[in-house]
Amino acid sequence: MSRDPLADTGEPRGYDVLIRHLKDRAVTMGGWALGMVHDGWRAYNAGDLVGAQAVLNRDERLDQLDEDMEHASIAFLVLRQPAAVDLRTAVALLKITTHLDRIGRLGFDMARLTSAPPETQLDNLTEIHKLLQQMDDYVEAMVRQALDALDGDRVDLARDLFLRDDAVDRMHRQANQMIVASLGKNPRLAPRLASDLLVARHLERIADNSCKVAEKTIYAVTGQRRSEYIPRHPVRPYVLETPTLFGADSGPSPEAPSPPTGTKAP
Amino acid sequence: MKFNRATRRKLFSHGMTVLTGATVVLVLIPLFWIIYESAILGASVFSLGFFTQNIPAPCSPHPGVTCSTNGVGSAIQGTVYLLLLAALWAVPVGLGAAIFAVEYGGERAIARVISMAADVLSGVPSIVAGMFIYALLIVYYPLLVFSVISGSLALGVIMLPIVMRTSEEALRTIPHSVREAALALGISRWKTSVRIILVAAMPGVLTGVLLSIARAAGEAAPLLLLDNGSLHPCMSVDTVCQSLSLTIYLGATSPSQNWVSIAWGAALILVILVLGLSIVSQLVLNRTARKWGQVG
Amino acid sequence: MAIPSVGVKMDVQHLSAFYGEHRAIEDISIPMADREVTAIIGPSGCGKSTLIRCLNRLHETAPKTRVEGSVFLDGDDLYRLDPTVVRRRVGMVFQKPNPFATMSIYNNVSAPLRFNSRPSREVMDQTVLRALKQAALWEEVRDRLDSAATSLSGGQQQRLCIARALAADPEVLLMDEPCSALDPIATSKIEDLISQLKSNYTVIIVTHNMQQAARVSDNTAFLYLGKLIEFGPTEELFERPKEKLTESYITGRFG
Repeated sequence: MSRDPLADTGEPRGYDVLIRHLKDRAVTMGGWALGMVHDGWRAYNAGDLVGAQAVLNRDERLDQLDEDMEHASIAFLVLRQPAAVDLRTAVALLKITTHLDRIGRLGFDMARLTSAPPETQLDNLTEIHKLLQQMDDYVEAMVRQALDALDGDRVDLARDLFLRDDAVDRMHRQANQMIVASLGKNPRLAPRLASDLLVARHLERIADNSCKVAEKTIYAVTGQRRSEYIPRHPVRPYVLETPTLFGADSGPSPEAPSPPTGTKAP
Repeated sequence: MKFNRATRRKLFSHGMTVLTGATVVLVLIPLFWIIYESAILGASVFSLGFFTQNIPAPCSPHPGVTCSTNGVGSAIQGTVYLLLLAALWAVPVGLGAAIFAVEYGGERAIARVISMAADVLSGVPSIVAGMFIYALLIVYYPLLVFSVISGSLALGVIMLPIVMRTSEEALRTIPHSVREAALALGISRWKTSVRIILVAAMPGVLTGVLLSIARAAGEAAPLLLLDNGSLHPCMSVDTVCQSLSLTIYLGATSPSQNWVSIAWGAALILVILVLGLSIVSQLVLNRTARKWGQVG
Repeated sequence: MAIPSVGVKMDVQHLSAFYGEHRAIEDISIPMADREVTAIIGPSGCGKSTLIRCLNRLHETAPKTRVEGSVFLDGDDLYRLDPTVVRRRVGMVFQKPNPFATMSIYNNVSAPLRFNSRPSREVMDQTVLRALKQAALWEEVRDRLDSAATSLSGGQQQRLCIARALAADPEVLLMDEPCSALDPIATSKIEDLISQLKSNYTVIIVTHNMQQAARVSDNTAFLYLGKLIEFGPTEELFERPKEKLTESYITGRFG
């Protein structure tokens, strides 16, 4: 054999083209889901019922994209019988679409919680919403980063997301603390505060699903499963970790971390 | 008619076809003529007794004397002994050499040397073979110089290369896969060669033996030297006996009428023998070719 | 290099094989697990056939060949034993079915007995029955054991060759691309057969068909240009190969 089988000739080989198509589909679906998150939060935050309805209507297309993606992956598996990286990628994409679908659904859920803005706004409420806005910006950036990692096989970007997930956790707890404290002081705002709790949780879930996408991306590229590079740390009930979370006393709120920078792939 | 290039070519190829057809006819003429003449002239003396009774005294018909053409029984007996003894040593030696060349020589030089030696030997004139045996026996076994045994030794020298070459061809026809299949079963090299390959090649080997017998049956020159002179039935193989080919020699040039007829009778027997052996060996070969085509 | 968790039946150590001056395989070491199927894959000319033919000492029957290294079968160095003895412990099935054309079905299967140990007719009958059943051919030929071996179809002839090899009761069965000359149905019958055979025999199969290797084997070795590139459990090698070259080959991005 005169040619080195490992030489990169620049031309697409094996199933490169087919894999590229599959990934493009996934990224497209991710973009759609991200749009639902962005517009869902915006509508909720502004109390924009029309905008919220628009987001709700996008659900159908999300389902369609999910189905198409599943179909394409299975067709690839059954017709091409791929091995190694091609196989891992097809399998990973099947699971990734589940997570992308959840991300979109969470945006949908946020839109659904939209209601007209309350007549009176207290400082606490504004504080809470500022924090939630920060959280949303941070989380949306995470989704974008997960999609970039998937698109470009960027294991480095994928790993970075796990650190950011910790930051989102902290923001989530802080938001909860603030909302619980505010509930005590402003019982009339309870409906609004209750949905704020849910939204905070939705945002945290979006971040979590982004990490799952990153996890599957790392599996596709390297074959490693999560347990091989992230040690499991024990989890305990909230009250044992953050005593003040659902308690009456809310101490001084810790610094909210700044959003991640430079998320676009070079 | 246009006498252009195309027509010239057509005429030429047509002419060539006719010419080659004519040469085929030319070749076949002697064959059929021999068979015809022998049949006509030889059949006239054929009877049951012809095969069993002995050669009578030479005589020519003239008033008062009837000449009989009793038979060539002794000659047939002599020829049979000659061929049997010759085959007895030539076939095992030839076969052995062939097995050695194919199985153990394989592609190596020794196999080619053996094949070449066989080819050279087949070109040796039969009289020279006779002379060689004469010289050999004169020194070591003078008593056997003129006998059926020495005649069969010379005939064996004629038969040897034929047996060798045809056996070698037959053995080489067996596909290598058969050898490998047998070896892979843990069958020893020797058993593979003899009990599997040889058995599979047996038709071809048999053909070679039959052909060599046909060839040897007709040889007269060495017998003239080594096994000549008797007219009586064969008593033992260490003496001289009559043979069919020498009967022809004796009778053809004889002034006696009955001996000439006897010669034709003997000739017919020989022709039938040779033709028969050739045809049988061809049939055997054809059957083998078809069988091997069915593998896999 | 992955060490199989079960016992090692045949241990190939630093094996090299030559055709004259040309080195066909170089320093190959593979532990073949007992009663498992090990597949050997690689592109044409990578030495897979040469390797497998060294395992029953058939390689040396060709002219000008040489072997270095050792092959251990349950601790016995095969290259110190008599080749004939080796070939009775290590059987082989070839790419093109090669039953003995001049023999009947019965005589083909009983050949290793008739030529080697010459047991009684009773023992031979039992062995032929056992071998034909193990080769999943008994039902199809039970009524015509005396008919010519060449009267069978290609797939049946190959199973006949398998039965013949099994009649010798080997410990290891080598298969050199056994399905290459067969149609898909015959191929799948033989693949099913291999799954059954491994409960009694250690099977080593050379195949150019990667999917077949994935379907049939427990462990896979990938050879390229005479060298062993990677060896490991089949599922691992096909899901997560360690070597770039292996991945390149099995994803079809070769050359």
